[in-house]
Amino acid sequence: MAPHDVTPNRSVLLDLKKRIKLTQSGYKVLKMKRDGLIIEFFEVLEKARKMREGVSSDYESAMEKITIARAVEGEIAVKSAAYALKADPQVKLGSKSIMGMMVPKVEAEKIHTKMTEKGYGVISTSAYIEDAATAFEKLLDTLVRAAEVETTMKKLLDEIEKTKRRVNALEFKIIPELKESERFVKFSLEEMDRENTTRLKHLKRKGAAEE
Amino acid sequence: MFRRSGRKGNYAYTVARVKAKKSLLLGEEDYNKMLQMSVPEISRYISESGYQKEMAELAGRIEGIDLVEHATYANMAKVFSSILAASQGELETMVAAYLEKWDIWNLKVILRGKSYGLGADEIREDLVPAGSLGAESLEKLIALDSIDDAIVNFAKMDKVNGQELLDIYKESGNLGSVEDYLDKYHYARLLASIDPSSRPTKMFQEYVRKEIDVRNLETILKLKAEGIYGEQVMQYIIPGGKQVDKKLAVQLANAETIAAAASDLSQLEFYEIIKDLVEADEVRIRDVVSEMKRYEIAQAKKFSHLYPLSVVPILDYMIHKEIEVGNIRTISRGVESGLDKETIKGLLVI
Repeated sequence: MAPHDVTPNRSVLLDLKKRIKLTQSGYKVLKMKRDGLIIEFFEVLEKARKMREGVSSDYESAMEKITIARAVEGEIAVKSAAYALKADPQVKLGSKSIMGMMVPKVEAEKIHTKMTEKGYGVISTSAYIEDAATAFEKLLDTLVRAAEVETTMKKLLDEIEKTKRRVNALEFKIIPELKESERFVKFSLEEMDRENTTRLKHLKRKGAAEE
Repeated sequence: MFRRSGRKGNYAYTVARVKAKKSLLLGEEDYNKMLQMSVPEISRYISESGYQKEMAELAGRIEGIDLVEHATYANMAKVFSSILAASQGELETMVAAYLEKWDIWNLKVILRGKSYGLGADEIREDLVPAGSLGAESLEKLIALDSIDDAIVNFAKMDKVNGQELLDIYKESGNLGSVEDYLDKYHYARLLASIDPSSRPTKMFQEYVRKEIDVRNLETILKLKAEGIYGEQVMQYIIPGGKQVDKKLAVQLANAETIAAAASDLSQLEFYEIIKDLVEADEVRIRDVVSEMKRYEIAQAKKFSHLYPLSVVPILDYMIHKEIEVGNIRTISRGVESGLDKETIKGLLVI
């Protein structure tokens, strides 16, 4: 709505004043939210950086171990051990709130399975294969935790961007427009007051002349 | 199946066949050459070293590094089957008992494949018919619908107590229990098949008992790394070890950590070889196992030249053939994965 598309009367002026007050307080709250989200984002960013390093090192270690297992025991033995696995990793999904924004909470529930419960024989399964299996379980655990941090970071980024757009809209468009409308209404009312005064004076003068 | 035979074995004939094959085995120099090659060059090199027929047979279906692995296994299976077919009497009993581990390996591949839902072709591809059960018997097992049927039929073929095996599976619901049972059963039967009255068979028996020691120690270390100790470990111990007897096994099993077991381990003949690895701050079990395997092979090498007309040269050849197949695979996979040459060399058993 253009600032001049309002009916200049007192009730509109009162309404505009109320809206300006509300918008300004909303602007302050949103600005605080944006600053809070940015602080939170930097904390999560640091966590994500460490997590990425963890994923990278765990991945390298797991790949090295599986390569060695495949070399020493053979692809057939490694594949066969993988087919024997009975336990599926369990992941619990939940959510938590950061400044009113819901972010996922991912918990790895049953990633590591004891060798005796894996589904293959303890005696004949080589230490190389077991080593590789443990390394991949560790990688999976790190990946699950990294997924939570990365998603939180992405959601925070989206929310910061959204809040920033809202703050900017309030600061540079909504509030100035409301203020301009208020100024226009005030100006119009003053103008109407002046017109009324002039009209009254004119009527008073006309009445006196007729007497 | 492996009850001692009253008939004497045909040692001269079988040893003569094995000796001819032994001369074809690759040596350290060959491995060093292969380390400098690419996978296609390795394929070509091994084709010229006795694996040509299997490489050509499988080349239509498999390629690259998998071709090397499958062809070497196929060649080994063929060689072992021919040795088993050539041997007679007590020699056949011992060779069959020794090669039974491949029947168990194949059953594991079949059961695991079935439990995962693999098709017959995929399971068949991974079999190594190097034991007493030929391709036909294995085919029968693959064709069976359920795991229970496969267990019962294998038990019939291998003269194992099928009901007991099935009960173990039903009770635990875990194929691992069946595998462990069969592994223990294999060693019990292997030991029972050897009559240690002569010096060479006594050596064979000693070698098997040392192999059991290595297996048991590996099991103890693996479980200890998982935080499992005590009675739970003892159920995985193979009876019949030479140095790791029941008493020592209990002591080792009861130690809560590997460090706590170090003093008990010091009684072992090969402790010096693994001492530094076991006493390190962070014990890498695969390194300990690797050293123990080297010790096992060194033990086999000690008697390889003794008693030329006995089971010893045959056993020695089978051990070295298996090592050769393992080494070729290690080099090929290592080269393909970009492992550095020193790491690959460290993984070889020479």
